[in-house]
Amino acid sequence: MNEISKNSSPFYSVLKRELIRMTSRRLYLGVCVILPLFTVFFMVTIFGTGQMENIPIGIVDLDQTATSRNISRTVATVPTFKVTEYYSDMESARKATQQKIIYGYLVIPHNFESDVMAGRQSTLAYYYHYALLSVGTEIYGAFESLLQTLALGPIVTEAVALGVGEEQITTFLVPVNTQSHPLYNSSLDYSIYLTNPFFFVLFQVLILLTTVYVVGSEIKFRTADKWLEAANLNMFTAIVGKLLPYTIIYCIIGIFANYIIFGVMDIPFSSGFLPLNLATILFIIATQAFGVFLFSLFPAIGIIMSVVSMVASLGATLSGVTFPVPFMYPAVYYASFLFPVRHFVEINQNLLYGNYGFAYTWQNVSILFLFPLVTLLMLPHLKNAILSHKYEDID
Amino acid sequence: MKILIKMKSSLKDIVELIIQEFKTIASSYSILLVLIGGIFIYGLLYNYMYQPNVIRNAPVVVVDKSNSKLSREYTRLIDAAPQVEVYGTAVDFIAAKELMKKNKVAGIIYIPKDFDTRVNRGEESIFITYAVTQAFLYYSSIQEASAGAMLELDDRYRPNMVVFLPAKDVLQIAAATPISVSGTPLYNYTEGYGTYLIPAVIMIIIFQTLMMVISMISGKERESGSIRHFAEQGTTLKRVSRIIISKTFVYCILYSIFGLFLAGLIPIIFQLPNIGNSYEIIMLFIPYLLATCFFGLAGSVFFTDSEAPILMIAFFSVGLVFLSGISYPLELMPWYWQATHFIIPAAPGTLAFVKVNSMGASMADIQTEYITLWIQCAVYFILACLAYQYNIKKAIK
Repeated sequence: MNEISKNSSPFYSVLKRELIRMTSRRLYLGVCVILPLFTVFFMVTIFGTGQMENIPIGIVDLDQTATSRNISRTVATVPTFKVTEYYSDMESARKATQQKIIYGYLVIPHNFESDVMAGRQSTLAYYYHYALLSVGTEIYGAFESLLQTLALGPIVTEAVALGVGEEQITTFLVPVNTQSHPLYNSSLDYSIYLTNPFFFVLFQVLILLTTVYVVGSEIKFRTADKWLEAANLNMFTAIVGKLLPYTIIYCIIGIFANYIIFGVMDIPFSSGFLPLNLATILFIIATQAFGVFLFSLFPAIGIIMSVVSMVASLGATLSGVTFPVPFMYPAVYYASFLFPVRHFVEINQNLLYGNYGFAYTWQNVSILFLFPLVTLLMLPHLKNAILSHKYEDID
Repeated sequence: MKILIKMKSSLKDIVELIIQEFKTIASSYSILLVLIGGIFIYGLLYNYMYQPNVIRNAPVVVVDKSNSKLSREYTRLIDAAPQVEVYGTAVDFIAAKELMKKNKVAGIIYIPKDFDTRVNRGEESIFITYAVTQAFLYYSSIQEASAGAMLELDDRYRPNMVVFLPAKDVLQIAAATPISVSGTPLYNYTEGYGTYLIPAVIMIIIFQTLMMVISMISGKERESGSIRHFAEQGTTLKRVSRIIISKTFVYCILYSIFGLFLAGLIPIIFQLPNIGNSYEIIMLFIPYLLATCFFGLAGSVFFTDSEAPILMIAFFSVGLVFLSGISYPLELMPWYWQATHFIIPAAPGTLAFVKVNSMGASMADIQTEYITLWIQCAVYFILACLAYQYNIKKAIK
């Protein structure tokens, strides 16, 4: 070690020292390369085709007439559904939903056909699983659009029989109609919606923890003095030299992930690859800085690892991908700005949805730049903490 | 007599091992932090974050090109819907889009110029909804609100449309009754996001923190070499199995308390769905905790120091929610992820808990998950014994 520091610049000796450390333990290969690549694979494959299609549902046909069978056939043509079960009573359908054999069911009541023919009030009731909210929403949507048309069936039949044109009667029934355009993700595909943000949510957990570990392990294994010595007691050199190899590996993986997600999987994006990759690199550096910042607060590795693992998991919620953050309590909403992943998701959405331009993301970009700057302020404290040796035995 | 003495000595051994394990946990700040922070703080914090539960008043902007009585009526109906709130009536589409880019609104409702005149001519009139899909909940809220307002408006205007029908047929057509449609969401009485997600998260928290505690303890044993003490009485599988049983006993005692807090108290405090039978929840927790302990102890072959395991464990939580089949149907995943569902205790455990707790399922309804958990217990118990035997032998070499 001493030889290196004598003959070369402090930065180079820290860097070289770190490369030796990295390659000496298989752990680093695991957490820097294998786990991130596994995460790419997981997020890319977990949603299957991404479309919620062929969801198993059931039909309870209590009527058993031509009309009810006709409705059953119509239901079976909806791509969202796959009618896997037919029941003769509501109880067994409900039981099957409870067992998760089906995710919803339609009930055609007794005397349905005769009621419709006679112009009596009749009801088609459907039930959908809402303990599993996302599937439930899909089934709700599919049933609504299908049954609203079916519901007007008797009137249309009546009118057409009287010689009124079908179009005319539809206008009578639905004078005002709606067209919906989900922006960006027009097919409401789950992989378009979740793969990209959730990969980075998981990635930030790994980056945060690994950063804390590589810095903290110096204190833990009592090698921090040698580390600072190699850096000629310059904390900035020590940190940058140490983390740079990881930054490079993460950037390669981040860019690779972008390529797989947007290039291979064909998830739509409005910008070019360059802005996406630049945002990814900025996000990685900000996240590493955030990790160093958290560690510097109380540099006892055992404790701070536990804390960071919880903080990082919060990133999944606060990135705003699942439940929109602005609708959480104000305290939670403002806390979300403290997480690099939140800003990254906002920048990425801007780039993906329409590439609206820097004017709409400069705040997020600036905050990502702030993370390294604020962390710089913590470095003197970290240096003192290391030299004092008082955090070594806390676990 | 001989058997009795033998039993006595192995019981004594187990008791000593248990005391030792308790001491290890009580003397480590980081383990206590995972337990207290992970269980209590995280359990409460998560609930606090998801308390708003549903989206109310998502901002939308209306581009009213028609500027008629009908379009204003429609705007009022949209505004009255609980899911959305009209942020403003921007004059043109460009201004509306600008608001969307600035994240001020989550959707645009465009009412074309001929909205009113078409209805008056007896033609179908169309308005267009554009909604962001940043979060699916935005899209579904706006969708629900605009469809609701449409139905309401249609009901109001249908009588006016009668004039466009042939006079002789009106009575007969009007006499035909439409079929009414009623949809009922099952098992989530608030229809909220928190009430859907948190029961699953509770089980994941239990799994994750327990895994972290086990890995930190077993990693530390290997790092400090204290694992060698286990070798004093031999490394036969019988003796190793006593170590595994003692450790599992300690973790299960602790987690019966934490489990009571997370699965018993939290749902009451935060009014989450908890229609499950307590007896069945307890019966589920027994194999769940055992399988998780054995799974963690079997994983100890990979844990070489007390912090490194956290690197490998922490990031799985989100993946485990997916693998449980709560957020995305298992049926639609590729076969290898469906298979993984049966390998990691958290996945069937979470699914079974949601079934019992939120859906009121009985023991028979969770049969698949329940049997899976017990099989996991058996397999991972053997693997845990082998793993510990291997670790001890490696350490004394």
